Amino acid sequence: MSKEAQLSIAERDFILEALCENVRLDGRKPDDYRPLNISFGEEYGHVKLQLGKTNIIVRISAEVTKPREDRPFDGLFNINLELSAMGSPAWENGRTNDIEAYATNILDRIIRHSNALDTESLCILKGVSCWSIRADVHIIDYDGNITDAACIAVMAGLQHFRRPDAVVRDGRVIVYGVEQRVPVPLNITHKPLSVTFQTYNDSKHVIVDATLKEEQAAEGDIVIGMNSAGDVCYLSKYAGAPADAMAIVNKTNVAWEKVKEINAAIEKVLQADLAKRAKIGMADESRAENDRLVQIE
Amino acid sequence: MTALVLLPSDEVPQDHLPTNNSNPLRLGPGLRILSQPSSNGSNHVLTATQAGLLTTDAKRNTVSLLSFPNRRYIPTVNDFVIAQIHHSSVDFFHCMVTPHTAHALLGQLSFEGASKKTRPMLKQGELVYARVQSVGLGAGAEVELTCVNPATGKADGGLGPLTGGMVFDVSTGMAARLIRASSTSAENTDAIEGLAVLSELGKKLESLGGFEIAVGRNGKVWVDCSIAAESAVKVTVAIGRCLQETDQQNLHTHDQKKLVMKILRDMKLVS
Amino acid sequence: MVGPIASLSQLHRSDGSASYKCPATGYSILGAVNGPIELPARRDALKPEEATVEVFVKPGTTTGGVGERYIEGILRSVLGKIVLGREKGFPRRGVVITLAIVGGENVARGDNYLTILPALLHTGLLAMISASVPLSMTFSATLLGVTEDGDIVRDPSPTAAKAAVSLHVFAFSSKNHLLLNESEGRFGFDTWEYVRERALSICQGETTASADGDVAMGEGTASASVSGFIRETVEDQIYSDYAYKLDSI
Repeated sequence: MSKEAQLSIAERDFILEALCENVRLDGRKPDDYRPLNISFGEEYGHVKLQLGKTNIIVRISAEVTKPREDRPFDGLFNINLELSAMGSPAWENGRTNDIEAYATNILDRIIRHSNALDTESLCILKGVSCWSIRADVHIIDYDGNITDAACIAVMAGLQHFRRPDAVVRDGRVIVYGVEQRVPVPLNITHKPLSVTFQTYNDSKHVIVDATLKEEQAAEGDIVIGMNSAGDVCYLSKYAGAPADAMAIVNKTNVAWEKVKEINAAIEKVLQADLAKRAKIGMADESRAENDRLVQIE
Repeated sequence: MTALVLLPSDEVPQDHLPTNNSNPLRLGPGLRILSQPSSNGSNHVLTATQAGLLTTDAKRNTVSLLSFPNRRYIPTVNDFVIAQIHHSSVDFFHCMVTPHTAHALLGQLSFEGASKKTRPMLKQGELVYARVQSVGLGAGAEVELTCVNPATGKADGGLGPLTGGMVFDVSTGMAARLIRASSTSAENTDAIEGLAVLSELGKKLESLGGFEIAVGRNGKVWVDCSIAAESAVKVTVAIGRCLQETDQQNLHTHDQKKLVMKILRDMKLVS
Repeated sequence: MVGPIASLSQLHRSDGSASYKCPATGYSILGAVNGPIELPARRDALKPEEATVEVFVKPGTTTGGVGERYIEGILRSVLGKIVLGREKGFPRRGVVITLAIVGGENVARGDNYLTILPALLHTGLLAMISASVPLSMTFSATLLGVTEDGDIVRDPSPTAAKAAVSLHVFAFSSKNHLLLNESEGRFGFDTWEYVRERALSICQGETTASADGDVAMGEGTASASVSGFIRETVEDQIYSDYAYKLDSI
């Protein structure tokens, strides 16, 4: 497995020295995120997210399938993250690596295991058919902190996605096309996000949203998964040097603030996109009206 | 002169070739020669192998293509690069010039005044400012670096280990611009290669002691401001941000000046 | 009809990149190229004298399978042939091309990949140009469907492609040589020849003067051809990258 090129001694020393003066390479404060930009594609659940120079595309898709034998009332939900050489030349196509397993694990725990998407609502007919929702995460440019970025993108995607409507009639499942019935949003129970901290200089300095170079210079990381209500659903001190317990307590407050801020940002772009779609929808309808008139002539 | 963009397999139009016949025609990267002029009066036939802007220099009788600035650096003889030591063996330091490519070799004795006893002991991760000595011929050839000018045996142009300071990544195109701009000794330093950012930083930071900078063609810029004492860290970060933003946003000269002011204020280096 | 939309060099980490969107078929592709780089895991497969071209196709909402591996083979043979793999710095190294299908319908398992092939080819070409990989030529490609009535449809939508009697993908080099032909369905030699001529005029925009009225529509001038579109896309990026130089001229 090839790895990211190592940091030079000059870079590592400088990053650490600068943090002692609370200076980061891009001029940010320790608790600042990079500029976050979220937009949506034409399809429902197609999210394009930029966090500084980390760039992610998430696509949500749905298909009808058979539920698992042991959980006849539950639908399926999977998050699929596959790294390719597009995100970084260090990642080889078709091969798994540590970052992939690490990020997938965190996303699973924060979003799936906290039941952010209510899988029971995906059941169509007990033990016979249900929806399988799939989130595909494509990292197209990697400059650190993919867990937070992917988490934001997947949550935005789930809130943006609309699945086709399906009903059971005489024991048979009928799935309506998007043209026949208005597609339905997913049932989101809460909106958890991850906030990743990197620690430096014996955890004297703790920063959020590290760039790749900052991650490489770090001695350890702390990941906090939390929703806007302040419920912690994930907490990990995965590897690296031990961190000061008080730092974790203090940073949980920072994490909560960040989660609230980012969820508000997601809500804002969601509403804007919804309004835009409503406008286009109305224009389409009136055009369809015109088309019908032409046909009559 | 009109700007001409060529795509791979496009022929260089005859009227764009320099007409200076005293020197042999020299080709830059991205072009290849299909036929030489012969006695019956035919001309050079050149085709492009990359997409780029055709530029000619009548004085030096050269033709070259300027291709995309974000491309990967390919070592070329006589280029200055900033290499990172990966490991050392009996005779060589094995250095990284670009990530994910084979290591380049730097002789343990290829430093100014180096002997078996006085050679520098470089550790993994240390940086050197070096010149590409040879790229070899044929398959599997290794790139060789040196930290002395073979003609003089001296470390001309700041060659040798880089201690302290910080390196910033820029595009290979930006690195080439910075080098061309610094090697041109024109009076009007504002307009060279469309770069005003360095001269502007120089003016604004003069009072703090100025800074030292080395540019590697492999897309690395080393900056050292240890003279600036307590504000060294902030000055270094400011220079790095100015260079990277100018590069990434492809800023025009007057926007570069604005950027310098904005970042120096942001870093509280000027009021 | 609405033409394709493309842009170059929008990614930071890869050495070259391109995005390509074809409104007629609905596909949107993102391509990245890294090269020349070491391929440590492929040491035995590397050729000592020239570059090894690798292609990876990543579907948008599924995991890659047999269909992707098959289309990768076609892409590798076309894109690999135009790379000048013996240029300085390239022998024994890899050129890694990654193409992600970021928009449009998924190609269902077992369905043919022809409908998306031209978009993948163009994205791969533009990304290689953006990475300054030395190339012997460029090319342009198109998808044509023949309907039951014998009409030829350019860039049919996935539904129209399903209904078509035969589907054809043609790629022509910048020297007008036929570089690739993948055809599927039932068709005779006459149909094939007619489709090929039409494809050539779409790609290179040349035979329009002699062609009948409906061919000339929207494909007439050189800039409306696919090769003209590729050229303009590249020129736009060069002009913007070298704006500082062009201003002073």
